[in-house]
Amino acid sequence: MSEHVTRLAQAEEFARQGNVAAALAAAEQALSVDDKDAHTHCLLAALMLDEGFNEPAVAAAARAIEIDTQCAAAYLVLGLAYDRIGGMGDRSVLVWHELAEVAPDLAIAYVQLGEALYSAALHDEAVSAWERALELDPRDSRATYLLAIAAQSRQGTGAALAGFRRAAEFDLGQDEFFFALAGFERLAPPPAALDIAHIGPGAAKRLEVAYAFAAHEEYLKAAELIRAVLSESPDTVSALALAAYLYLKQDAINEATACALRAVALDGSDAAAIYALGMTLARRPALAHHATRLFSTLAEIAPSHTMSFVLLAESELALQHYAAAGDAYDRAIALDPGSVRALFGKAVVSLTQGDHSSAKWALGRAARFDIERAGCFWALYDGMAKGACQQ
Amino acid sequence: MSTRTEPARLPRNPLFPLGVDYYPQGSDTSAPGEWYGDDFDSEFDAFRQARITLVRIYMSWKAFEPQVGVYSEQALSRLREIIESAGAHRLNLILCFFARVPGASLTDVAWGREKDPHTDPYLIERQAALIRSVVEAHCDDRAVFGWELADEAFCAAFESVADLESWVETMRDAVREFDDRHPVMVGADAETLFHTSRIDARAALSTCEVGIVHATPSYRGYIAEGPVLAPDSTHLGSYLLHCAPRGRPLLCDGIGPHTLDSSHAEEAALVRCALYATLMNGGSGALVRRWRDAAVERRTPYYLDPYEALVGLVDDESHDKASMQELRSFSRMVARLDLRALTRPVDEVAVLVPSERMAVPPTLASLYAPRSCLAAFARAKEAHLPVTTVREQDPYDPYAMIIVPSVTDLAEGSLEELATWVQRGGSLVYSYGGGEFGLVARELFGVDFLGHGGVRTKATCRIAQRDVLSGVEPFETRVDMGHFALLAPGEAIVLATDDSGNPLVTLNRRGQGQAICMAVPFERILGQGGLFGASAPVASFLRALYAAVGGMSGCAPKVTCDAFETEVVLLSGDDEDVLLLLNHYARDVTANVRFERRVASVSPVAGGSAVTVNDVAFGVPLGPFGVASLRIVYG
Repeated sequence: MSEHVTRLAQAEEFARQGNVAAALAAAEQALSVDDKDAHTHCLLAALMLDEGFNEPAVAAAARAIEIDTQCAAAYLVLGLAYDRIGGMGDRSVLVWHELAEVAPDLAIAYVQLGEALYSAALHDEAVSAWERALELDPRDSRATYLLAIAAQSRQGTGAALAGFRRAAEFDLGQDEFFFALAGFERLAPPPAALDIAHIGPGAAKRLEVAYAFAAHEEYLKAAELIRAVLSESPDTVSALALAAYLYLKQDAINEATACALRAVALDGSDAAAIYALGMTLARRPALAHHATRLFSTLAEIAPSHTMSFVLLAESELALQHYAAAGDAYDRAIALDPGSVRALFGKAVVSLTQGDHSSAKWALGRAARFDIERAGCFWALYDGMAKGACQQ
Repeated sequence: MSTRTEPARLPRNPLFPLGVDYYPQGSDTSAPGEWYGDDFDSEFDAFRQARITLVRIYMSWKAFEPQVGVYSEQALSRLREIIESAGAHRLNLILCFFARVPGASLTDVAWGREKDPHTDPYLIERQAALIRSVVEAHCDDRAVFGWELADEAFCAAFESVADLESWVETMRDAVREFDDRHPVMVGADAETLFHTSRIDARAALSTCEVGIVHATPSYRGYIAEGPVLAPDSTHLGSYLLHCAPRGRPLLCDGIGPHTLDSSHAEEAALVRCALYATLMNGGSGALVRRWRDAAVERRTPYYLDPYEALVGLVDDESHDKASMQELRSFSRMVARLDLRALTRPVDEVAVLVPSERMAVPPTLASLYAPRSCLAAFARAKEAHLPVTTVREQDPYDPYAMIIVPSVTDLAEGSLEELATWVQRGGSLVYSYGGGEFGLVARELFGVDFLGHGGVRTKATCRIAQRDVLSGVEPFETRVDMGHFALLAPGEAIVLATDDSGNPLVTLNRRGQGQAICMAVPFERILGQGGLFGASAPVASFLRALYAAVGGMSGCAPKVTCDAFETEVVLLSGDDEDVLLLLNHYARDVTANVRFERRVASVSPVAGGSAVTVNDVAFGVPLGPFGVASLRIVYG
C-alpha cells in the first residue's frame, strides 16, 4: 500500500471519529505525497467545512473538482460552503446544478438548488426544484418545510401550517418521543412468528409487545393486543394512550380523542396520554388552544425532550402566538441545536417578526444538520471511492 | 421626508466625527467613466443636515489620467468643484486615491492594463505623480481632512508584504512632498486584510497617522458566522478596534448593512450597535458604508461582491430609512459630549491574540485563534470587565488579568514572560487548545500533564471550590470538544472537575499572582459553535469564571451591572460622568447599575429633564439592541 493511500485511510478514519486535527494532519501528509488526488482534496474540504472555515473549504473542493469533474462529494461541499458564506447566488446555483447532473437521484441537490434559487428571488424555479426533490424522495422533510415557507410568503401562515403538519408526519422523532414518554424506548421488533393469541400471561407483557408492534408499524397486531388488554382491564392508561396513538395513525381523530380523553381523565399526569390528547386536539383547528395547554403541561412533565417544546411551539404557531412560539422553539434548539423541525419553525417565526437574518441563519443551520445527519457527504465520498476501486 | 433645518445651527462633535462613504456612481446604469456625475451639492447638503462631518470620496485614476501623463481637465475641475462644495457645506473630505469600487473601474487605466499596478515600477511612478498633482493643488483647501492612499480591496491584491510596504512608502512620500499637515491613511484593517490576503500589513499601516477599522462581510462570516445581530457579531467592531495598533486615532468605517437580506429594523439595530460600540470602545469617529441605496438592475441570481455597498441610510428616492434615524439620534447625542473632559476607563484585562494567528500558510490553529479570541473578548465584556486585546510580543505589565483563549502553542519565550508577569501579581486565565504542556507550563499552572484525553461530545462541570468560583454554576451540555487535557494537580488547587473527577479548572498561586488553567478549549467551543443551543451553558460558565477572576484581580469596574447582555462604559469627567449602555441581545433587559458613590440625578445626554435618584443603584430599561446615554450627577 502506498504512503499516500495509508495517510488518506488514516485521515478518513480520524475524520469519521470526529478528530479533525488528526484528520487534517493526515490529509495534509497525504497531499504532500500526491497532490493530484481528488479524494484527499475532497476530504480536506469537508473537514474545513465542518470547522466552519468556508474559504479554505471552497479552495480544496474546487481543486478536487478540477482533478475529477465527477466528484459529487466535492460539489456537495463546495455548494454548502458557498451557501454558508452567503451572497454567492450565481455560483451556488451553478454548483447545485452540477451536483444534480453528477448525482441525478440525489434529492438534496434539488433541495439546495431550490434554496439557492429562492435566495435569488427566483421563487417559481425554487418551488419546481423542491417539487423535483419530493419526486425523488417523497419523505424529504426539508423540501416539504421549504415549500411550506414559500407558501407562507404567498398565502400566509395558514398555508405554511399545512405544510408543516405534512413535514412533521415524516419526523420519526415524534413517534420515538411518544414511545419514550410511555416508557417503551427502543423496543426490539417482536419475532415474526409470534402468535399474539398466546402472549402473556398478564396485561403488562401484552402491553409491552403491543408497543413493540406499534413501534415497528405493525399496527393491526398492536391493535389486537390492545383490545385484549382493554377487555381485561379497561382503565389501563398506557393501553388507552396507545389506542389513541394507533387511531391517530389511521386518521381516526374522533376515536383517538375518545381514548386519549379517557386516559387523561384516569391519570392527568401521564405524559403519553397528554401527548395523545394534545395531538388529537391539534388536528382540530377550533380546539387548537386546548392543545397548547396540553403541550404546555407536557413541556413541564418532560422538559428534557426537544419534542415537548417543538410541539408546544407548533401549537402556539397555529394560534399565531409568534412570540410564545419563538420562545418554545428557542428552548427546543437549546436542547438540540440540530433539530431541523425546530429550526424551520424558528425561521417561520423570525420571518413573521421581520428578523430576516435570523430566519436565513436558522434555515442554513437546518440544512447543515439535516445533511450531516443523513450522512450525505460520506455516502457520496464512499460511492466515489467504490467507483474508483472498480475502475 | 426629513425635516430640513438650518445647517449652521446643527452642532457636531469635532472629536468624534461622523462620516459617510460617497461613491462615484449612484446606480448600476452609470457608465464606468462617469465620475461623480450626480448632484453632489444636494447630497452634501443632506450630509450636513445629518450632522455628518467626514465624507470619503474615491478618486478615479482612469478619469484623471486617460492618457499617460495627461490629466483630464474635466476631472480636475470636477474635483475642484467637489472640494469647494464640501467646504461650503463645512464638510471634511478624505480623498481615497486608489480604490476598487465594484462597477466603477477607478484604477483601470487603459494604457496600463497589461501591467500590475501594485508592483510595476512605471505604473507606481504614475500613481505617485497623480498623488503629487492632486495634493499640490488641494493641500491648502480647508475641506481636506486627509489623504487615503488606497482602500482594502486595492490592498488585498498585493502579493507580498514587501510590495505593500514599498508601495505605501512611495505614495506616502509623494503626499509628504507637498503636505506635511494632513494625515495620511490606508483604508485597510490589518486583521481583515490578513484574513483576505494573508498579507501582514501591520508595519505598513503603522506609518499612517490615522488607523482604519472595519469588519468586512467575509471576515464577519468567518469569525462570527450567524445572524449579523448575534451577540458575538455585535461585539466584532469593538474587538477589531481593540486589535488595531494603539497610539493613533482610529476611524471605524463600513458601518451599516452589508447584504440585501436584512429588514429595515435589523439595519437600524446594526447601525445603532456599531455607532455606540465605536464610541464606547475608544474609536475616534465613525463612517457609514453608504448614504443612498444604489439603484441597481434586477440581478438574478445575485452575487455579492464583498466590497460592494448597495444598501444606504436613505432609499433611492431620498426617503429616510430607520437606520438614518439611528444616525441622527446618535449624532444629536454625541454632539453634546465634551470628549476632551471625559475619559474612558483603563483597560485592565486583555485577551491575548497568539502569534500562531499569523501563520502563513494558515494552520488549523491560526484559523481557530480569532474566533476563540472574539469569544473570550465578548464573554469578558459580558462580565463587565474593562477588556482589550494584547499581542504576544506586546508588554503585559499594563494589565492585571490576561486571558489566553484556547491556544495551541505560544511563541518561544511568551510563557516564560507570562510566568514572570504572574509572579509580579498578574492573573492569567489559560485554556488548553491542544498540543503539549512543557515544563514552564507545568510549573506555572502547578499541574502535571498526563496526556490528551481525546475527543468528547459532552462537557460537564462540577464545582469543587465554591468560595473561589463564586457565581460559577455547574453544567452539563452536549458540545463537540476536540481536546481535553488530562491534568494531575501538583501545587494547584482544583476548582472544578468534569463528571469523572478529572480536573477541569485549576488555580495555582504563584508569587503575587495566580495562574488559572482550564483543561478544555472553552473559548474555541464557543467560537466554533456560536452562542446557539447547547453552547449557552459554556458561555455562561466562562462569563462567570472571568468575572470571578476579575474580582480576585481587582479589575472590578466602577459601575457594576446585573445584566450580562448590556455593555456598560462610564466616561469619567471632572464635574459629571457619562454612562453609556448598549444591549447586545434581541430581548428587553433592565440593566440595574450600581455605583461606588451616591448618584443624585441622571439625565439623558441628548437632552431631557433630570431624574432624581439619590441612591447608589438604579435600573435602566433597554429594548432589544437598545442604548442609553446618561449624564450622572453625584451628590
